[in-house]
This record gives sequence, structure tokens and C-alpha cells, in this order.
Amino acid sequence: MTPSLTAMLLVAAAAALACRLAGFAAMRYLPRSHRLDAALRATPLAVMSGITALALAAGGLTEALALGTATALALWTRNDVGAAIGGVAVAALLRAFGG
Amino acid sequence: MPPRAPFGLAGFRRGFRVGLAMALPILVYGLAFGIVAAQAGMGAGMAMAYSATVFSGSAQLAAVSVMQSGQATLWAIAATVLVMNARYLLFGATLQPWLSQAGTGRSLISLLFLGDANWIATMKVIDAGEEDRAYLLGTGVPLLVVWLAGTLAGAVFGAILPDPKALGADLMLPAFAASMMAVMVKAPASLVPVAIGAGAALAMGAWAGAGWGIVAAGIAGGGFAAATAKDTGKGTGK
Repeated sequence: MTPSLTAMLLVAAAAALACRLAGFAAMRYLPRSHRLDAALRATPLAVMSGITALALAAGGLTEALALGTATALALWTRNDVGAAIGGVAVAALLRAFGG
Repeated sequence: MPPRAPFGLAGFRRGFRVGLAMALPILVYGLAFGIVAAQAGMGAGMAMAYSATVFSGSAQLAAVSVMQSGQATLWAIAATVLVMNARYLLFGATLQPWLSQAGTGRSLISLLFLGDANWIATMKVIDAGEEDRAYLLGTGVPLLVVWLAGTLAGAVFGAILPDPKALGADLMLPAFAASMMAVMVKAPASLVPVAIGAGAALAMGAWAGAGWGIVAAGIAGGGFAAATAKDTGKGTGK
């Protein structure tokens, strides 16, 4: 029997909450060290790079041009949010013309 | 007991402004979820409840696809959300040394508003020296509001709205990641975690899917940095 939507909602919400809190809570029990600090500094860049690489691998020329635009605009203007919106706009424009 | 770190309106406002700037693509992404939820037979109220409590597009879309498969069990829903959101374990862990200085209650409330885009934005400002811990909450509030608005619009008006992918909604997160990464890379040494993260994501992503690819990127990049770190005798204290 398929569970009700409400039951599935409660389970999904609990799982999402666990993911949000568990890493934060676990860190309280890890002793601080220079190695842990180095890992914490490197992780965001590695995750951002991973997200970008996966999108490039899954996409085609349109996606590559959009993300290339976002990167170039960010390097040029140092306005990362504006650069990201510019990249998304390039994707929308190219897709409107069949890209 | 050390004094609490700042958690004030000024930091909230700074975050809120950044959250607002990121809101349009999140709105479109919310539309996509609303449309899919309506197609899966959810009413607008139930779709909104999912968006309010799960607040993760990838996990919500994956959970709905499990529901539509006709083989949904509570275990399958739990496993799907845990796998899709496993990266949040890393997000919470990386925020903890900074955010926990605001106190447990404020930290936990802020974490309820944690998403991919505002985690990236917050890690960037932490790197730049942001002291006010309300920044994360400030970025999250507008994102949750537009996420809910998009979900509602998609669930109610999905049939007459344009395809969100045509508007580039699927590229929102990668574009934020690429642009913020470009700004955060300040020295050649920063390219090491970038390269390791990309390689690990592609290797794991091809084998186990994008969700695990992102987790692998963080673990590989962080693990390599930990293994090669030299003790300079001065902790970051962030």
C-alpha cells in the first residue's frame, strides 16, 4: 500500500532536517586542528568546483557558454551574484534561439 | 564563557540583499517543483508544505519522482532525501566553527534556512571576514519566500507557464557556484581543491549520480587539504 502524502511529507521533512543539523552537530565533537581548519577552508571551493563540473559534463555548448559567461563576468566585475544571473540569462537567450 | 558573536540586523540586511539578488532563479526553480508536484497529484497546499519543510529543490523533485514510480515507501522517501541532501552534512560542518559562536538557538534557526546558493554566498563572506552571523539567516529568508511563491504559482498556474528550463532554472546553482568560485580563488594554491573537487565529482557522479558527486568533491578537496596541511602554529579561529 502506498503511504499517504502526509506521511511521506513528514518523513521527507525529518530526513531534510537531519541532513541540515547532523554535520553541524558532529563538528562539536571534532577537536580543532590545523588539518581540520585546512579541510574546512578547502571544502567550499571543492564543492563549488564539483557542482560546476557536473553541470558542464551533463550539458552541451549552451551550458558551457552560460557557465563560461558567469565565470568571466565574475572575474571581470567581482560581482558574483550579478555574474551568475548573467550566465543564466545567456542560457535562456541561447535556448530561446534553439540552443 | 566567551561572548557571543554578533547576530544583528546589519548582518541580516547584508544577507537579505544578497538573497534578494539570487531570488529570481530560485523563483523559477520553485515554479518547476510546483509544476511537477501538481502533475504528481499534489494540491497546492501539500506542494507548499513540502517546499516549506524540505526546502531543497533536488530532494523534493527526486522524492516526487519516487512517488510517481508507484513504488513509494516511507523508507524509499527517506533514503532519497538523505542521499540527495547528503551534501548538507558538509555544509553544516563547514559553517559550524563560525555559526556556532552565535549560540545554539540562533544557529539552529539559521540552519533551517540553509540551501545550496546561500551556503555558497555565506562561505564566501566568511572567507572575506564577515562577523555578523545573522548573514546566513538574511540570505535564507528571501530565498524561502520566493521558493514558496514559485511553488504556489507552479502548482496553480503550471499549465499556462513557460518551461522553467527554457528560462535557465536548471543552471541557477552551477552559475552561482562558478561565479563565486571565480571570486574566491585568490592564489594558485586555491586551484588545488578546485581541481580535486572537479575530478572527484566527475568520477563519483558518473558512477553514483550528481548528489554523491558533490559529496565526493567536498570530501576529496577537504581530505587532500587536511592531509597536506602544514602546522603554522596559528589557527584560523573562524
